[in-house]
Amino acid sequence: MKRLLRILSLVTGLAILIYWATPSQFTESSIEKIKNRGYLLWGSDAEGGAPYVFPAPEEPSKLIGFEVDLAEAIARELGVKARQSQNAWDSLIPALERGDFDIAMNGLEITPQREKEILFSIPYYIYTEQLVVKKDEAVINDTTQLKGKKVGTLSGAVAQDILENLGGVDIKIYSGQAEPYEDLALGRLDAVLLDLPIAAYYGKPNPKLKYAGPPVGEGFYGIALRKEDGELKKEVDRILLKLLQTGELKQIYEKWDLWNETQEKLFLNLNKSISYTSIEESRKAPVYTFFPMLLKGAGLTIFISFVSMALAITLGLSLTIIRLYGKPPLSSLSTAYIELYRGTPLLIQLYILYYGLPNIGISLSPLVAAFLGLGMNYAAYEAEIYRAGIMSVPKGQMEAALSLGMTQNLALRRVILPQALRVATPGITNDFIALFKDSSLVSVIAMVELTKTYNILAASTLRFFELGLIVAFLYFVMSYPLSLLARRLEEKLKGSKK
Amino acid sequence: MITVRELHKYYGAQHLFKGINLEVQKGEVVVLIGPSGSGKSTFLRCINGLEYFQKGEIIVDGIELHSINRLTPGKKDMEAIRNVRLKAGMVFQQFNLFPHMRVLENIIEAPVRVLGLEKNTAVENALSLLKRINLEMKVHSYPGELSGGEQQRVAIARALAMKPEAMLFDEPTSSLDPEMVGEVLSVIKGLVNEGLTTLIATHEMGFAREVADRVVIFDKGDVIETGPPDEIFANPKTERAKTFLSRILS
Repeated sequence: MKRLLRILSLVTGLAILIYWATPSQFTESSIEKIKNRGYLLWGSDAEGGAPYVFPAPEEPSKLIGFEVDLAEAIARELGVKARQSQNAWDSLIPALERGDFDIAMNGLEITPQREKEILFSIPYYIYTEQLVVKKDEAVINDTTQLKGKKVGTLSGAVAQDILENLGGVDIKIYSGQAEPYEDLALGRLDAVLLDLPIAAYYGKPNPKLKYAGPPVGEGFYGIALRKEDGELKKEVDRILLKLLQTGELKQIYEKWDLWNETQEKLFLNLNKSISYTSIEESRKAPVYTFFPMLLKGAGLTIFISFVSMALAITLGLSLTIIRLYGKPPLSSLSTAYIELYRGTPLLIQLYILYYGLPNIGISLSPLVAAFLGLGMNYAAYEAEIYRAGIMSVPKGQMEAALSLGMTQNLALRRVILPQALRVATPGITNDFIALFKDSSLVSVIAMVELTKTYNILAASTLRFFELGLIVAFLYFVMSYPLSLLARRLEEKLKGSKK
Repeated sequence: MITVRELHKYYGAQHLFKGINLEVQKGEVVVLIGPSGSGKSTFLRCINGLEYFQKGEIIVDGIELHSINRLTPGKKDMEAIRNVRLKAGMVFQQFNLFPHMRVLENIIEAPVRVLGLEKNTAVENALSLLKRINLEMKVHSYPGELSGGEQQRVAIARALAMKPEAMLFDEPTSSLDPEMVGEVLSVIKGLVNEGLTTLIATHEMGFAREVADRVVIFDKGDVIETGPPDEIFANPKTERAKTFLSRILS
């Protein structure tokens, strides 16, 4: 137990060090900051992100996509490197505002609502919405024939608005880009309406699907910047114009088969040449190519779990002691904490910590939010386990310790807790294994741990099954030693007690 | 040495002690007898501050415990209780050795952590105590590896290691197998012969008669009779004492 605690505290220390070692971000202007740092941090969601940004099928640790190319071109013009910052698409804007990255670029449509909160660069792409149907579809030829049909789209996308305005459409909202097309091919949907780049990557290559009618709607993708970064916006605009004039932007779109006549409104020159990374290719890539990324995710999972557990153990112990031995106002507060944290979903707690606290001026880094979220939640469960452990120690033990002149604190520390922890060990280990798996929830706050890595890879390759098996196996390989360790600890403790 | 004045104790609505008085001289051996539930254990536990009492006072070697209510013990009360415990060591019916510590650790824990004794000194003391109770070969055993009698002897050594002025024995042989009672009683007899102030609650009448300077008979929370053992056992004055003794001694 002691050694475990020592390791945990070491890991905690390291985590704090890493947190503090990240440079603070005041004083300098954004451009200076980027240049001094040597890289441009751009936020996007690689999960189901093709062809915008997604892991390369043949080398999954590398991100590719037309926005990757664009980000690299912009960074190059700034004289720095580009570095992607993984963030859930739904929360790109809040994350940008909290300062998690310099710019957000991920098919963000320029809309009046968004312009209230952030700045947009000049448009870098004109998107349209493309309707996709099954190959053998006979009735639906365009968007006017969708009444009463089941149509899939993404949450928060412009396509959703278009469908709603049509009226009478049975809209099915998805959170990933690959899934609606899968469901369409399986016959669960009648059609899918989404941005053309998405349709081009996920819909068009599928032999069971086809485009229906011409693209509808029209809007602009812009690069999002913080309101106060006007200077950076000017610089980004200048660079976009340059890329547009030199034809480099067009080349990027041609490379990704995203070129169409609509884009002529942005560009003057027009050349045709197509090369396309088909989704079929990624289906063929040998499975070991995914290992480096998966292992990296697993590493982060382990790190988060250990630090959170260290926090849960310390906080849980304090809560129990306050609850059992503290004076009335404190002890009931502790009870309230335990009940509150056990009675609300961890997911909500994470959202409040990471996305909610900035509303009142407290901004946590994703890593710290993950530690606190998991640690504070599991502390409540730990506290109950310790309480059961303490209750299981015979009353005479405390009396004997007190009658020897020990203070209550000393008696707790030397007599009661060592015995209570022995009883609690199996529970603590079970909790640790549970926390280990629950750590997958922190993927909602922009942590690319094992489960998030799986989501990203599976969504871009559609290999949900084999990748799922591998990830499940990885989790098992990591948690099984914990069970073994627990068993050994229990036996050792039993041996010393006899 | 130990003075109890007008001790009142309630268990909820039940009025257990209705003003008990008792004076124990230095070096005196007082044996408390009486039927189960008569209050003799509770009385000892009050002296050791393990039970709260609502009225009266207890003075141990000059340290005063005034009526202590469980809900509002002040800092001063707690400090006094702790000091009383340092003066009067306690041995329990259930031994209450610390199961996660070896015999030696059980004995030196409080001297080192509470009295601040050097570990070497504490170990030396512990070894000589163990020798006295004839258990030096068990120094590295865990309590779970000892017989009941051996555990109780270690518990006595543990209390003695704090060098108390007085010892309180709360039915020290009641949970022992009959063949182990003797070894524990002989250890206690040894202490008594050295002149240690001692209060013992017990059902061992022969032992009481042998070692007691004074016998106190409890019944339903009342002290019904007190006096030298010869007098008490041969010639009890009250009806209640007669009934109790005739049942016990027959």
